[in-house]
Amino acid sequence: MTAQEIVARIRQRLAEQGISWRTETVDTFKAGNPETAVSGIATTGMATFGVLKRAAKSGRNFVITHEPTFYNHLDQTAAFEQDATYQAKQRFIREQNLVVWRFHDHAHAIRPDPLVVGSARMLGLSPFASPSENRIYVIPQTTLRQFARDVARRLEGRAIRVAGDPDMKVTRIALGPGYGVPALTAGFDVSVGGEAPESGGNAEYVEDATTIGQPKGVIVLGHMMSEDWGMREVGDWLKAFLTDVPIDWVPAGEPFS
Amino acid sequence: MRLTRRSFVQAAAGSLLVSRPGFAQSPAKTMTAGQVAERIRANAGMAWRDKTLDGFKAGSPETPVTGVVTAVMATQRVLARAVELERNLIVTQEPVFYNANDEPGNRASDAIYLAKKAYIEQHGLVVFRFADHWNARQPDPRVAALARALSWEGPGTNGVFTIRETTLSSLAAHLRDRLQIRGGLRTVGAPAMRVRSALLIPGTTDVPAVMARLKDADVVVAGEPREWEVVPYLLDGREAGANKALLAVGRLVSEEPGMKACADWLKALLPEVPVDAVPVGDPYWSPLA
Repeated sequence: MTAQEIVARIRQRLAEQGISWRTETVDTFKAGNPETAVSGIATTGMATFGVLKRAAKSGRNFVITHEPTFYNHLDQTAAFEQDATYQAKQRFIREQNLVVWRFHDHAHAIRPDPLVVGSARMLGLSPFASPSENRIYVIPQTTLRQFARDVARRLEGRAIRVAGDPDMKVTRIALGPGYGVPALTAGFDVSVGGEAPESGGNAEYVEDATTIGQPKGVIVLGHMMSEDWGMREVGDWLKAFLTDVPIDWVPAGEPFS
Repeated sequence: MRLTRRSFVQAAAGSLLVSRPGFAQSPAKTMTAGQVAERIRANAGMAWRDKTLDGFKAGSPETPVTGVVTAVMATQRVLARAVELERNLIVTQEPVFYNANDEPGNRASDAIYLAKKAYIEQHGLVVFRFADHWNARQPDPRVAALARALSWEGPGTNGVFTIRETTLSSLAAHLRDRLQIRGGLRTVGAPAMRVRSALLIPGTTDVPAVMARLKDADVVVAGEPREWEVVPYLLDGREAGANKALLAVGRLVSEEPGMKACADWLKALLPEVPVDAVPVGDPYWSPLA
């Protein structure tokens, strides 16, 4: 089966689940030849050079990535065709006969969103999912400090950041994937997600809410500490209908030391 | 200083009821916020842009100015500090109402948004955003101010500073200490790596700019590099044999020295009114600490 044929199977499966293919999407081939015969699939949060090396080593030549391969959302490379790192990565892809395809917009469209499912599972939040509210989890009361420590321990993340009063009480948590950190409102105590701009958002809201005396918190996990796990869920979703090709999860991992 | 709810309410009530000596002593020559903005525009060092986030975000431009505070972000704590200092014009790098264009959007009936808005109205505060133009000044005043905060000599070349040779981990410790980083410092690179030159990019980071300028530096000291842009570029570079590192200090931390420099710039520009910088600090802490 070629990479192109596998993508056709994915699109067919999505259609069966009521998800129509978008005309404008970042879910396209990013590198390699789509006609390449696939020896195995690697799903990952991000097709970093390290992920490509591990995928190639284990004989998985079709890399399905959630985030970009070439350092911007649209994988536009015109500005850095001469860059040594870019060229080395492209050369490796060519030499190893790899194909990279992005599965972002339509992966998030699957219900439930596998990127949120994967994050919730890693955080131990799945059993606490609110029966009536999307992406809300209601946990036994704890403090922000304790909850954040538990999160850090579970993910083994090295760069998890928290804003808010460490002693504030926490029961209601909103969980979003990647750059989709839920905007804080009165409806929950703590927002958890991958990556967020510091200005004009939750960091400012937390600061003001704390000053005003209605404390809120935010936990910024890191983009991969949020979405890598979900691409394991996507791997399981693929295994259900792609039974004739090996599928592995190759996490990008915590980028920060 | 962190206001308790009670002191916040007292501060709010007190300033309404008690006459403030600052007003009685205010100089005969008063300026309105609009006149201050006009002077900023005239001295920005470039034509004022048609499309810009800079401008008034809260309060009336007709307000007579009792004093100016600059801050990297106009948080409630900054507003309260301005009231304490009897300064009613806040010049801010980042938004005041939780998104880029300062429209409340879904938060129009949110208690925190409404409390902040009411506080601004009760105290007759005016908030002026000054980011697009301040950041576009040449040379970038945020870069020079950040270098000064780190005791790095010289103007630098294209944001690259030659520093006394050290290790990446020692440099990280220096940044943490000088910029008073609480939890926000994140590193890509080996702790023992030798570092002799650093590229300073406060605020957000543009990938092609980093690629072009990192050729002359061992490490990029960035504010808020995106984790699908500069971060994987640095990771991939290390896989490809390039020995470059990244220290991400956080957007606010990276821009705070710049807003202190902005206060100095405004002092010279506005001899009629007192001007002070109010620090915001790192919003983040680490659960591992």
